[in-house]
Amino acid sequence: MVRVLLRFSEEQVPQPITSQIILEYKVPIAILAAHINSKGGEILAEIPDEAQEKIIKAFRKRGVSVTVPKLIEVDTEKCFSCGSCVALCPVEAISIDKDSSVKFDKEKCVGSTCSICVDACPARAIKSVKQTNSEQLANNRKK
Amino acid sequence: MSKQGKTRTVEEINEKIRKGDVQVLTAEEMKKLVESSGVEVAFKEVDVVTTGTFGAMCSSGAVINLGHSDPPIKIDHAWINDVEVCHPGAAVDLFIGATNMSEKQPFEYGGGHVIQDLVAGKEVELRATAYGTDCYPRTQLKTTLTKDDLNQFYLLNFRNCYQRYNCAVNSSEETIYTYMSKLLPRLRNATFSGAGELNPLMNDPDYETIGMGTRIFLGGAQGYVIGEGTQHSPKNLNGTLMVKGDAKKMPPEFLQGAAFTRYGTSLYVGLGVPIPILNEGLAKKTAIRDSEIFTDVVDYSVPRRDRPKLRQVSYKELKSGSIIIDDKKVRVSSLSSLKMAKKVSKTLKSWIEEGTFFLTTPIERLPSDSVFKPMRQTGEIPFVVSVMHPAVTCTENEEIRAIAERIVTKSVNHIVVIDGAGKLRGIVTSWDITRAMAEGKKALADIESRNVITAKPDEPLEIASKRMAQHNISALPVIDIEKKVLGIVTSEDVSKLLGR
Ligand code: SF4
Ligand code: SF4
Repeated sequence: MVRVLLRFSEEQVPQPITSQIILEYKVPIAILAAHINSKGGEILAEIPDEAQEKIIKAFRKRGVSVTVPKLIEVDTEKCFSCGSCVALCPVEAISIDKDSSVKFDKEKCVGSTCSICVDACPARAIKSVKQTNSEQLANNRKK
Repeated sequence: MSKQGKTRTVEEINEKIRKGDVQVLTAEEMKKLVESSGVEVAFKEVDVVTTGTFGAMCSSGAVINLGHSDPPIKIDHAWINDVEVCHPGAAVDLFIGATNMSEKQPFEYGGGHVIQDLVAGKEVELRATAYGTDCYPRTQLKTTLTKDDLNQFYLLNFRNCYQRYNCAVNSSEETIYTYMSKLLPRLRNATFSGAGELNPLMNDPDYETIGMGTRIFLGGAQGYVIGEGTQHSPKNLNGTLMVKGDAKKMPPEFLQGAAFTRYGTSLYVGLGVPIPILNEGLAKKTAIRDSEIFTDVVDYSVPRRDRPKLRQVSYKELKSGSIIIDDKKVRVSSLSSLKMAKKVSKTLKSWIEEGTFFLTTPIERLPSDSVFKPMRQTGEIPFVVSVMHPAVTCTENEEIRAIAERIVTKSVNHIVVIDGAGKLRGIVTSWDITRAMAEGKKALADIESRNVITAKPDEPLEIASKRMAQHNISALPVIDIEKKVLGIVTSEDVSKLLGR
């Protein structure tokens, strides 16, 4: 799965772009977060790896700006499992194990569009990192 | 155990440690034993209970002695890795305070990190200046050091091991950053500190065994209690300890520099105390559970010493991951590491079992009935309530012309829009009205601002004044928790009182 951030302009908001693309390509696109109003909006979506290239292209063809957002990375050497970050996470990607260690679920984390936990870590163990550019990966695979 | 079978002494326990048959349980294990087998059995079977905590302890620091340079210097100002360190004594003694921040990377690197780096064996950079005397002529110094170059390097923490602490929330509309970490608006999260039932002082709340001279686990080495900590307030279960230990002997794991965004730096300290089970009473006390330890949920959005307390919660609820406030489920995070607290108590247990750590009898008891006083302040500081005055109001269905008249007759610049129940709806200024009349608008709804910046009556005036400046406005309606309008405070009121 690849996470992408879709940005819609004011004119694009009323158009059913996302559903059109889902129907046309028959690819499931999961919407993880959305902030939309009449002035424009952002959708954080998840696209299956195999389909990423054509889906990203399809959005771009329709004038939607697509960026691959940063994810977070946790330095387990630095983290001393204080737990400060746990309750901040809006998608419950951070939890406490039986042995009281703090665990991150990268599948659940929505990455840099959120980043709420990053500046709350007293050990500065959480960093925003760039997701490997999915387009580049796709290109490399072709070669 | 002595003959009567009802008490044992520290000497008897140390003899057992020497012989290798001492019975030690961690606080966690002791609670389980008492629950399953009762106090009497637990007292018979257990000699020592080890406790532990691992939290951010701001009133920590390290004393170092540098040795003399040639020519010698009597340090006036000094920095280590750009963190200013104090020079409270003679020529080359320094104190690294955990909360002092780097001048180059404030809020990210501070005294706590310097101590952590030194403990880890890293090289640090020392800069110093001096005014120069006949006996200490040197005025400038720059050198690098590791802990091996120091004559003394010991932790000297004047307030550690808080028995329990508040649970913090934020009821305001904006995220705030505090020493209780990041608090999201509208009670979206809560934070708490302290190890609860594992905390040393919770397991000996009457200071029967913990006193001056008690040997403890401090930062991964042996240290000592050297007295009551500052703000020691045992009567209301807010006891603290002052401790000292040789930092050269400490491994890197149990001392961690910390950075709290927009608050500053600190030091996480691992601290554990062995409690000798001298009598059944102590066996019972060390069985205390999180469900019996309560603390207040405090609203940190109120910038006052006495912040509103929303309710009481037990550490059991806090450790469950969420608490209920006003029927709302609020997720709660610990700021101190339970994992490390357990590791402290386990490590201390293994030292005693291996015969490398012996218990002590305090040479003096700590006070067990004192309370912590607030500051004596000779100057009064003004609050919003002391300058606010009744607001001129209107309702949304009034005509703009009527409001314009009111602005003139009452000679005010702001009219607060309220609903039938007196609750805040919006605000209009004389400027909004003038423009509306010029543009021929009639409905108030078209011109009022609904996103109103407000003040609370018990806020310091200074903070309300800053808010006005920040939003570039000249008045704030004063409202209560239910958004009922109590009055208005204007920049004129502020300048009259604060002279700005
Ligand atoms: S970045 Fe956001 S979603 Fe990801 S772990 Fe942190 S708080 Fe949770
Ligand atoms: S806040 Fe930082 S140190 Fe604490 S548990 Fe989270 S990642 Fe670890």
